[in-house]
Amino acid sequence: MINRIPILKALKNDRWVRPFLKRYKKTLILAIFLGILTFFCGGGLMFCAGYLISRSAARPENILLVYVPIVLTRAFGVFRPAVRYVERLVSHNWVFRMTSKFRQQLYDSLERDATNFNSKYQLGDILGLLSDDVSHIQNLYLRSIFPMMVAWGLYAIIVIGLGWLSPLMGLWMLVVFGLIIFAIPIWSVLVNGARQTYEKQMQDKLYADLTDNVMGVNDWVLSGRGSAFLKLHVKDQQELFEVDQVMKKFERWRDYTFQLVYLLAIVSLIIWGMFRFGQRDTYYTNWIAAFALALFPTVSAFAGLPAAAQETNIYKDSLNRLNNLPGPEVENKKAITLKAPYEIDLKDVHYTYPKTDKEILHGLNLTIKNGEKLAILGRSGAGKSTLASLLRGDRTPDSGSITLNGISTDQFGDQIANYFSIINQNPYLFNTTIGNNLRLGNEDATDDQLWDVLRRVGLDQMVEKLPQGLETEVDEAGLRFSGGERHRLALARILLKDTPIVLLDEPTVGLDPITEQAVIDTFMTQLKGKTLIWITHHLQGIDQMDQVIFLEDGKIYMQGSPKELWQTEQRYRELKRADQGL
Amino acid sequence: MIDRQLFKLAGASAIMRKLAVIEILQAFFIIGQALALSAVLTGLWKGHALNWLLLLLFIVCFALRQLINTIRDAILNKYSGKIAEDLREKLLTKVFNEGQALVQKQGTGSLITMALDGVDEVRQYVKLIYSKVLTMMIVPIIVFICMLCLNCLSAVILLLMYPLIVLFMIILGHAAQDKAIKQFGRFQVLSNNFIDSLRGIDTLKYLGLSKRYSKSIYRLSENFRKKTMAVLKVAMLSTFALDFFTTLSIAIIAVFLGFDLMNGKINLFPALGILILAPDFFLPIRDFAGDFHATLNGKNAFKRINELIAAPKEPVKKIALTDWSANDELIINDLRFNYLKGAEIGPINFKIKGYQKIGIIGMSGSGKSTLINLISGFLTPSQADIEIEGHKTNTMNIPDWQRQLIYIPQQPYVFSKSLRENIAFYHPEATDQEILQAIHVMGLDDLLNDLPKGLDTVIGQGKRALSGGQAQRIALARAFLDPKRKVMIFDEPTAHLDIETEIDLKTKMLPLMQKRLVFFATHRLHWLKEMDYILVMNHGQLVGQGTFADLQANNSYFIDLIHGMRGESNDQ
Repeated sequence: MINRIPILKALKNDRWVRPFLKRYKKTLILAIFLGILTFFCGGGLMFCAGYLISRSAARPENILLVYVPIVLTRAFGVFRPAVRYVERLVSHNWVFRMTSKFRQQLYDSLERDATNFNSKYQLGDILGLLSDDVSHIQNLYLRSIFPMMVAWGLYAIIVIGLGWLSPLMGLWMLVVFGLIIFAIPIWSVLVNGARQTYEKQMQDKLYADLTDNVMGVNDWVLSGRGSAFLKLHVKDQQELFEVDQVMKKFERWRDYTFQLVYLLAIVSLIIWGMFRFGQRDTYYTNWIAAFALALFPTVSAFAGLPAAAQETNIYKDSLNRLNNLPGPEVENKKAITLKAPYEIDLKDVHYTYPKTDKEILHGLNLTIKNGEKLAILGRSGAGKSTLASLLRGDRTPDSGSITLNGISTDQFGDQIANYFSIINQNPYLFNTTIGNNLRLGNEDATDDQLWDVLRRVGLDQMVEKLPQGLETEVDEAGLRFSGGERHRLALARILLKDTPIVLLDEPTVGLDPITEQAVIDTFMTQLKGKTLIWITHHLQGIDQMDQVIFLEDGKIYMQGSPKELWQTEQRYRELKRADQGL
Repeated sequence: MIDRQLFKLAGASAIMRKLAVIEILQAFFIIGQALALSAVLTGLWKGHALNWLLLLLFIVCFALRQLINTIRDAILNKYSGKIAEDLREKLLTKVFNEGQALVQKQGTGSLITMALDGVDEVRQYVKLIYSKVLTMMIVPIIVFICMLCLNCLSAVILLLMYPLIVLFMIILGHAAQDKAIKQFGRFQVLSNNFIDSLRGIDTLKYLGLSKRYSKSIYRLSENFRKKTMAVLKVAMLSTFALDFFTTLSIAIIAVFLGFDLMNGKINLFPALGILILAPDFFLPIRDFAGDFHATLNGKNAFKRINELIAAPKEPVKKIALTDWSANDELIINDLRFNYLKGAEIGPINFKIKGYQKIGIIGMSGSGKSTLINLISGFLTPSQADIEIEGHKTNTMNIPDWQRQLIYIPQQPYVFSKSLRENIAFYHPEATDQEILQAIHVMGLDDLLNDLPKGLDTVIGQGKRALSGGQAQRIALARAFLDPKRKVMIFDEPTAHLDIETEIDLKTKMLPLMQKRLVFFATHRLHWLKEMDYILVMNHGQLVGQGTFADLQANNSYFIDLIHGMRGESNDQ
């Protein structure tokens, strides 16, 4: 039965919860101790108060006789809120501390395959999910694991304490509180867990569904079928609502059952009190009220357990997703130092994506000389981007070789960044200042150097006009870099990096032809002397290149200088004419 | 505390009445439970045998009190659920009636969050606010009266604590709130920062910095932790104050009662009664404070959704138009549009007749897309004097006009639906044969062959992302299936495609444009020669119109534009 609890299954081979619990054991133990102490003080307050009143009712002659209970009552009264306050601080601190490490581990996991995320949509989805997962795991710690441990501690105290006074009562409490701590939560997970999972799936589906249809809202409006979709969506919502109602109904009766079991605990304590202390002198009967009242404040330590247990079903997916991420990479590549001239050589390169059977590149041969300017054209899906990641060594060819000065590019690891730079379709600007974004190219760059590259890419005047110059945040309100400007900033970063080879992966898609031409001109003049590999989707600016290759079906089907192609290839002339609108 | 809008909700007063009755009953059960228990304990204290009848009374009161809570929860759940679903339906109806204009104003993300998470928050809010406020208004009062009867002094002491608690909560709450708001800002920064570095992780890797950045993620997060803890220290003080005063007052009462008992001023039964009632006296305010923040979110969401639903509609002109034919005329006079930022488009004047192909050319930001959206009726002009098929209008948001539109943007939206549903989107009754023909004509055979379940394979973003060219072909196939729609509107359909795909698509598009009115915004020059008439846009102004030959002969901006777009055109 225990095996049917999903969270336990997810925790079996886990890298994201258990190691962290171990790592921050000391704080965790402190927090649990304080958590238990809080409820102990709460119970203690009522215990002492009950005893104090009973004792006073017997009219002791001397006030000193009730002095100890008076002091204890006050002490518990003050301690309870104080301990609770400290406990909350400690437990939050514990969780945040873990989250820091957790974030780092998540980053390291993703870093490994960073360059191989296929499409940006997928990347966005993954990131959204993962950042939700971080908060889910936080909740798992704070709302499920932590209260459960506190409740167990309290359980132990109640059972041992009463068992010490009378073993039979201890045993009885072991059973009654066992119901509260184990039976009801497990019952809840088993019955409602599946519903909760289903509800979560429905919600996710509705979310995806609604996003999909709101993004396509124009088509709904124009097709005149908007109300049809709405009916469908409302029906799904209704279904979800009904599932939710069923679940809530179960929860209500579960909580009612919980209260009744708690009532059983209180009543049995009263009856036990009568047998243990009753029908005797008030010296004994004073304790009855104390014990009976002490149990009331502890109810809140247990009341949340069933819900907490049931919630773990939501976190299970997060945990599984995280556990399915690859472990961080241990890189031990040899140090490689190359000297100019740099020559790239591709010999009979074949490549098929893992888990697919369609070969993307079959038998590519190509030499890129030092300082050469090469343009790569082809339809989408012809293998241009695959070629780019192979060139940089992010992927390894199935057969054949890709070498830079005789060394396979996949041998470089991160060192490849010293030789290759990339500017792709959407150059990424980090949410920090312009200066910091540029310094990613060279962390030691002086302000003068920054201004120098800005001038070279033609952005100096624009940045000078900003009130805070280089210190302006790139995303600050009112400041939006247009497509062309983003590319120029990315170029400036690359210029600071100053690598001998630059790869441009369709950097000008979506720009209007005039802006595009200006960006290309800047690229060409500023990257003079470097080896330039330019993947492009049309022929704007092509005449500035030394060599042009056209990829089709994973092979080169046209190759030559722009001039040669114009003279010899009918197809090239047609494309060129079309591009120019002649 | 309670939003006025809440009282306007259907059934609000009925639910309030029901709840009031429940709360009164609950207060009586609380009292019954306390008194029975203290009677039982007093009896035992005196050394009597257990009074089973009183114990049973205690059990019954306890059980009934919990039962009535359960019932209250059920009632509120049903009620709040109904309110929430109604609200959601109203919101979505608005969205799907108004379409793009509203979506653009609000943002896709924010609309969806509002419709799903926002409405759920409202549900939570409605559920909590009624019960918590009513409990707070009824239970402590009845409990207080009971305590007053048991022992005046203690009751008054407990009463005095109430304003003290509220006062401290307000003072500390304010102090914490300022800090918390600042910290919330920081939290946004951090989580953005984290996502930011994940999004840019490939860029970092390309620059060879990704490994080192790992440490800085940790450092940032640790910094954030320290600052958050500083805030929590203050923020949690308000809970501390609440806790402190309630437990302390119980301790004080216990001691007071102790003294009174020793002096014989009071008996054990009322003393125990007060001690047992005291926590329940404070319980409602503690509950309320605990859920206060949850209700705040819901309250804001409720306000925003109501505002959105009440927002004025885009004006619609209901004119009976016939299908566009060879003799129909569209005359646009003095068409203007103002952006929120203040930039203006227009005035624009032109006149078209019958099945013409109208090209719209200009640089990015020249107003091409805005003009397209005005013509399709997705945007409402700030001013316009339009005559269509002889009818006067000031907006193109005409249902009969939109009914005949085929609109193809740069990136046509592909729904996460089957290939069949996607292609037959405008014409759901299409037979498989018609669909297969459309697929064949638009050159989608390869895609179809690649799909494991053929026409039934679900495509679209989440499932199987299509290339830009494929998405265009799907949009064209939709148009092909629907020959009755006589007006085609293209917004840069091929700008992001590779040249070969573009030329291939052109051969598919041109036949579709036959016998149709076409508006075609583009900055790709080769399209212009296919157009019968060209509108030249620059900085929101219509700076030229005419045939390609006319413009090339007479319009200097057009000549410059063409020249610039060709780059350093070498006259081979």
